[in-house]
Amino acid sequence: MSEQSAFDNSPDPELGAQLRAALDTADGDLFVARLRQTVLAAGREDSWDVLSRWAPRGLVAAIAAAALLWMVARPEPVAPAGPMASAPMQMEVAPQHPEAAVLTVAILEGR
Amino acid sequence: MSHVDEAGLARLAAAGDGDAFGALVERYGGQARRVARSILGIGEDADDAVQDGMIAAWRAIGRYDPGRPFRPWLMRIVANAALDLGRRRKVRQAGPIPESAESSFVAPDRATDHVLFREEFRAALETLPERQRVAVVLFDAEGYSHAEIAEVLKVPEGTVRSYVFHARRALRRALGAFQEEAP
Repeated sequence: MSEQSAFDNSPDPELGAQLRAALDTADGDLFVARLRQTVLAAGREDSWDVLSRWAPRGLVAAIAAAALLWMVARPEPVAPAGPMASAPMQMEVAPQHPEAAVLTVAILEGR
Repeated sequence: MSHVDEAGLARLAAAGDGDAFGALVERYGGQARRVARSILGIGEDADDAVQDGMIAAWRAIGRYDPGRPFRPWLMRIVANAALDLGRRRKVRQAGPIPESAESSFVAPDRATDHVLFREEFRAALETLPERQRVAVVLFDAEGYSHAEIAEVLKVPEGTVRSYVFHARRALRRALGAFQEEAP
């Protein structure tokens, strides 16, 4: 082991050599050759692989966005137009109270 | 391909050139194996982690930025593969620590030849936390800068300096003790 301090900012060649010797084995070249072959045989990810990985998430997101848009922008329900439907509305929102004479006639006729 | 430098190979590989990536595997395969072994020890797990990491790197090569150094990018993927495998292995093997694991250091008086010395060194290395092991291997054995190791481990540069400092001190202490006590 060299006399370098643990604080040194440059690599310790002797420690480096010990580390490499401790971690290397005799089959290093064979391992690398086999590794190269295996990695390249595994193939690269093409754009279809990327798309297929994202497709389920994309589909869910699109459905959620469409549902949200529909809820926000949907038109108000429209009441069917016609005399039967509009008459009570007109009565409810009549701007003036009926005159006393009209009410008196109605009561008398009812009697 | 051997005449092309690392940046050129990485650019070609990023464009999908298999031969270029193969040349990078040849260049960094041994280094990746040492890094994985520093985390997982010598065995099939480390080799599996290197293979998984290299395949992941080849599949993700389209996301590599050719403007940045290639080897920290590659080594980060390999180190992560090894750390992940180590975590899975720990979960699998969780249980009481066997008594024999209390001291993995062989008695110095028996360590008289080169092979035993190497075993002693491995044992001393294995006593370190895994990130310290990676840091000291990358720094002293592979010649990475602190900044590159910070990129690999995704920690601040100051943390890397601390890892290297503690790992060196522990290794030197262990080996000093070994050398003093060896006959």
